[in-house]
Amino acid sequence: MAKGSSMRGNFNRILKVDLSSGQTSHLSLPEEIWFDFIGGSGVGAWLYMKYATPAPDPLSPENPLMVLAGPIVGTNFPGSSRFAICARSPLTRIWGEGTCGGNFGPKLKSCGFDGLFITGKAERPSYLLVEEDQASLRDAADLWGKDTYQTHQLLRGRHEGRRGRAICIGPAGENLVSYANVNNDRGDVVGRAGMGAVMGSKNLKAVVALGARKVSIHDPARYESIRQAALQQIKASTPAASLHAMGTDASMELGMMTGDVPIRNWSVGEDFDLGAKLGGPAMTERYLVRPAACLFCPIACRRVMKNLRGPFAMEEGPGPEYETCCSLGTNLHNRNPEALLKANELANKLGMDTISLGGTLSFAMDCFEKGILSEKETGGIRLTFGDMDAVLKVMEMIAWRQGFGDCLAEGSRRAAARIGKGAEEFAVHVKGLELPYHDPHGWHGMGLAYMVSARGACHLQHLVLPIEQGIASYEGLGLKEDYQGQQSSGKAEMVKIAEDFGIPCNALLLCQFVGWCLKSEDFPSVLSATTGFDYDLNSYLKAGARISLLKRGLNHLMGMTSQDDVLPPRILTPYREGPAAGSVPDQDLLRAEYYVTRGLEADGKPAPRTLDLVGGLLEMKSLLYSEDRSREKGG
Amino acid sequence: MAIPFPSEEWVRAYQEAINHSPAYKGAAAQWTHGVVALICNAQFPFLTEDVGIWLDLERGVCREARIVTREEAQKAPFCISGDYARWKQVIRKELDPVKGMMQGKLKLKGDLATIVRFVKASQELVNLAAEVDSEFLDEKGSSGQI
Repeated sequence: MAKGSSMRGNFNRILKVDLSSGQTSHLSLPEEIWFDFIGGSGVGAWLYMKYATPAPDPLSPENPLMVLAGPIVGTNFPGSSRFAICARSPLTRIWGEGTCGGNFGPKLKSCGFDGLFITGKAERPSYLLVEEDQASLRDAADLWGKDTYQTHQLLRGRHEGRRGRAICIGPAGENLVSYANVNNDRGDVVGRAGMGAVMGSKNLKAVVALGARKVSIHDPARYESIRQAALQQIKASTPAASLHAMGTDASMELGMMTGDVPIRNWSVGEDFDLGAKLGGPAMTERYLVRPAACLFCPIACRRVMKNLRGPFAMEEGPGPEYETCCSLGTNLHNRNPEALLKANELANKLGMDTISLGGTLSFAMDCFEKGILSEKETGGIRLTFGDMDAVLKVMEMIAWRQGFGDCLAEGSRRAAARIGKGAEEFAVHVKGLELPYHDPHGWHGMGLAYMVSARGACHLQHLVLPIEQGIASYEGLGLKEDYQGQQSSGKAEMVKIAEDFGIPCNALLLCQFVGWCLKSEDFPSVLSATTGFDYDLNSYLKAGARISLLKRGLNHLMGMTSQDDVLPPRILTPYREGPAAGSVPDQDLLRAEYYVTRGLEADGKPAPRTLDLVGGLLEMKSLLYSEDRSREKGG
Repeated sequence: MAIPFPSEEWVRAYQEAINHSPAYKGAAAQWTHGVVALICNAQFPFLTEDVGIWLDLERGVCREARIVTREEAQKAPFCISGDYARWKQVIRKELDPVKGMMQGKLKLKGDLATIVRFVKASQELVNLAAEVDSEFLDEKGSSGQI
């Protein structure tokens, strides 16, 4: 089937919900939009451009919250059970998005919808019940104030027997913490950019999906052949075996050797003893109950852990991923794995992104130890590195916006501005989004990816991590066989390729870990076999470029400029010790080379010719280059 | 003088390099997990059969190093196998063995958690292989008879 004919995979139906009026309607898109932007955050960005520019204030009723699946979601392809949530971010005030595994994505598709486009604000705390071809708003008075684990339990009981699956927010989302997350089934979260706060601002506690519709596949025989080959490739893959055995935290000790693991608010270059305490092997040996998997995933990288001993005892439940082992472990200089487990559990329950939470806490600890903050500001809490009793207390204060917690609930950028006295030097973020825990001191390409990613510092919308670190090798993309981490020159081209290749994977809602095991051609092949569109590697990469430019365009409409494509001071300060000692990314070189490679103007906007070449972005070109440049509402 | 890889002579030189390395001794001081075997796959015409290298490692010391058959090498608790060209890249430090294993260029058999715990020791082992002045059979143009 060629472009323009009837597609499969998607239902071509977005459910529009106005929470203020309670009205619902369906939206179908021209098929070329699905071809050009694939699904997930790609289609989300297009919807935002079409229906929400000028961009409303992130916490206003007009800011749409989009919950989106992708064309392979709802099939049994490994790693396909994901979904995305997109909105203008209250943390960064630019384009925001996050994705999540678990079980909600396929359930949403089973209702016959590819996504939800939610605007307005419910009069009182509510949850949305989505069923096949319909939806209704339900009272959530009894759920408001409950943590995410309690909320899931209550909703499961209420919709028992109908196999409902839910996403919900915790107290942090209700209290509009800028980095509140959205939780699916306790351990899976849409963590980044504060999508939980957007949900909270709409008085929307949860969304429950109940349905049984099947996704139709264009070429089932071809699809099955690709799926079987993918399963074999996963079975033979060392990274997949490693993820299964030790979870994502398998990489910590190796990361200590390559300068990838941030320590003590990005100020210490190595600590092998800490890596041995918090790394995958030790955590697995001491606390693992069993691995767990998202639907149809043979890798099973999720951890079910428990600790029944001591002051940080934790019931059996989701264990921390690598990012959290750093954010609430190494970067807080926390040497106690049991405290790490407990803090991870508390963050899940309260509904906060552990990456931004940990980044904000480590920032505050640095300020406290430097004398910028004192017990007077913190309400008597000695917020020193490694003090996990203090961390647990402050986490509660953040989620409920009590005392000093109200300041930290804004994230490190706004907290630094509020604190003043040079605190900005210790806030480690790009565009307001705290850095994930892969250190650009050791990996300059990742530094560039953080600088230019659409949602701020992001490690997932591209495939820079596996490509630069040599975890995966993709043929036919023009990549080198080997990249030196501590080298800036020539990295822009790699980052652009890794974006063009990774962004469609993200829009497709295919798990990146499965993607590490696949061959380059598998990505467009499974997309074609499912939808019936004629993708090849070139059109797939072009879709990646198109989505990247669309999101960059949206950010410029929201007030972003090239001045925002920068790394924080801590990343530009070299370590004195460790494998990345003396190494910092050459920010100016990286950005200059990237702007040329990506076809951007000096101010960071996509150039008109670039937009013409990639196609499908005439409307964005018109928005960016129309006479009226002042398109942002709400500052 | 350069030593042909793989050969008994090369393996002896490698053992000597391992046992003279304070860096390896430190990194592998807690290694009590047994033999590590490397298998170099045959590559016609200069290496006519698979060659195994048996390294009996214990607490930072290489107690024994010898050439073995593939079958014997596979009995080791840890076994890394790859094509001749890949081992050549590793010895020349053109291929990081961890990246090689991740990308499937080298195949690993053994407990991954143990390998991760001793990743620094593994790195030192590779560094020491690069210290052996090696001659490669394909460049010499002769057939490999071990």
